Amino acid sequence: MTNERGGIVVEGVARSFGSVQAVRDIDFEAPPGEVTALIGPNGSGKTTLMLMMASLLAPDRGTVRVAGFDPVTQPAQVRSRVGWMPDTLGVWESLTALEVLTTIGALYGMGAADRSRRAEELLVAVNLTEFGRRPARVLSRGQQQRLSLARALIHDPEVLLLDEPASGLDPGSRVELRSLLRSLAAGGKTVVVSSHVLSELDEIADRAVFVSRGQSVKSQTLDEAGSQMRRYYVQAEPMSALAAALQSYGVRYETRGDSRREEFLVQLGSTAEASWLLRTLVLGDVVVTAFAPAGGALEETYMSLDTDRR
Amino acid sequence: MSTATEPSTPQPVRSTTGLTFWSAVRTVFSLEMRQRLRGKGWYWMLGIWFVVIGFIFVLATGVLGTTDNEGGILFDLVVGFVLLFGLLIAPGLSANAVNGDRAGGTLAILQVTLLTPGQLLTGKWLASWVGSLAFLVLSCPFIFWALALGGVNAQEAIVSLLMLAVELGVVCAIGVGVSALANRPLFSIVSTYMLVALLAIGTVIVFGLSTTLVMEERTMTTSYYTYPESSLDATGTPDPGAEMECVTQTSQGMIPRTEYIAWLLAANPFVVVADAVPYSVEDLPELDPATDAAGLPQGGPYYTPGIMETISQGVRAAQAGPDVEQSCEELAESLRPLPQETPIWPLGLGLQLLLAGVLLLIGRRRLTMPAKRLAQGTRIA
Repeated sequence: MTNERGGIVVEGVARSFGSVQAVRDIDFEAPPGEVTALIGPNGSGKTTLMLMMASLLAPDRGTVRVAGFDPVTQPAQVRSRVGWMPDTLGVWESLTALEVLTTIGALYGMGAADRSRRAEELLVAVNLTEFGRRPARVLSRGQQQRLSLARALIHDPEVLLLDEPASGLDPGSRVELRSLLRSLAAGGKTVVVSSHVLSELDEIADRAVFVSRGQSVKSQTLDEAGSQMRRYYVQAEPMSALAAALQSYGVRYETRGDSRREEFLVQLGSTAEASWLLRTLVLGDVVVTAFAPAGGALEETYMSLDTDRR
Repeated sequence: MSTATEPSTPQPVRSTTGLTFWSAVRTVFSLEMRQRLRGKGWYWMLGIWFVVIGFIFVLATGVLGTTDNEGGILFDLVVGFVLLFGLLIAPGLSANAVNGDRAGGTLAILQVTLLTPGQLLTGKWLASWVGSLAFLVLSCPFIFWALALGGVNAQEAIVSLLMLAVELGVVCAIGVGVSALANRPLFSIVSTYMLVALLAIGTVIVFGLSTTLVMEERTMTTSYYTYPESSLDATGTPDPGAEMECVTQTSQGMIPRTEYIAWLLAANPFVVVADAVPYSVEDLPELDPATDAAGLPQGGPYYTPGIMETISQGVRAAQAGPDVEQSCEELAESLRPLPQETPIWPLGLGLQLLLAGVLLLIGRRRLTMPAKRLAQGTRIA
């Protein structure tokens, strides 16, 4: 997995800004060839951790190794290997998309021919070819987001740090982002994605690290997340028949309160248990109209870590 | 993000890992210049500048129509105005260079590349300097017009323009340095204006106030021309045809020893430019020892210096200090422009460069990432 030559290893880092302890104690690992999700509520220290990995912020305590290098003592080594996409959109409004990419390429020491070839290539990859020669101010938020991603990829980094890459993207672009990130991981890159869109991460990420109040609280692979206890919602026609059936099998249920439709939530330990319940209900002549996981696997973990949802 | 055209990962894109100093500076410079050339603000400022300088020039031409040394005075006036307006414009072009990028979210994007803070500051400084030099270039028609009127030698003109360019560069360096230190563009622009005001006005005020500290009681010998007592009638009017004579008088009094505090003026941009310019005092007509009807030495020197030359003369007078023993011979001589004894501009320019250098160095430290300390209320990204 992670060795001295690749990936990210973060051990026990802490960082405070004045009296605000943004990161208390985070352990984080992102192996090459995989997409690692960084998940946590607002203000949990995700962006601060990203900044430390991108060599923009020095940790007060703990060690960070990115592609085998220490961002504090070897920032140039780290920077040439890391592509960072910030959550804020910084745009040189009067520059064209192509110029933005070639300028950044030049600042990574790429030759003129190299960087313009790579820039054209990336514009195709993020579907911005028709904007290549137009000033960046005409780009919509989602298009700027895609330009920002292309910018992070300009020097073909080994490690990719993406802070909320999916925010502002339309569904089509999200699907494309997903396949782009999967193919980068398949090519051996280390990809770190922080996001709130948990259902998105379910499909992109291989593993997830959960942070809360500046601490890493859980780290799991998606396979682990999939096999844990999770909630299903069930609908039937009529609901009273379903309620009676569930009571007779001794399955505890609750009425889902946050939905427009009337439905029951049941907690099931595994997919085998879920298929048993569905089969039993159908064979018991309950007219089941819907039966599905209440949320993604990561959402389940997220909700179960009710450490600080204020 | 079409899957068909993935970025070709197996192919190594990075051909060079190093980023040479000048190619980094050139990239930052062209990034800045592109934005400036494509914006409207800079052109508006250039247009207003041209109109204002032109208006003042034409007005001055009309007023000075009858004066001798017209070319010299006009040239001096343009130099003085270009310097004054340059001091007003250069902070505007430079003092939001770094924190403007921070506010726009583009600074951190540059900082994660191989670009070093020194390269960033150098590129930004060069771009703002070139931006303000455009204002100097735009004033050239008026400068050449004044030169065409005669009275200014080539050396004087070249040194004036060179020193103007240097001063603009110094102010831009101060502005870029401050912009790396201050969080908000507004604050850094105002701070830069305050620093420039400190140099241009503050030095004069401090000099003026300091004269009270260097007051000394001395015996002074002064000389002046007057009509002899015998030639005056009862009403005090001199007889026609009476000759003036030189009277030497000795008195006790407090005099400011300005030679001790003249260095305070050195860092003033106007002093630096005026003191560096070699005004041609040698070309003036020699004094005639005989006196004219009014009793003043004949043959001049009825020479009217321009504004910058007046500043130069004032500084030289301050450097020389008061003349405590003024004889009748010196009285005539005192009407001639003072020659330069010790140039004060290298000291002034040195002080200005020191200020700019210190600001840039602290700014460079502030921009060095990864950051250990962050100023209150700042976000990296």
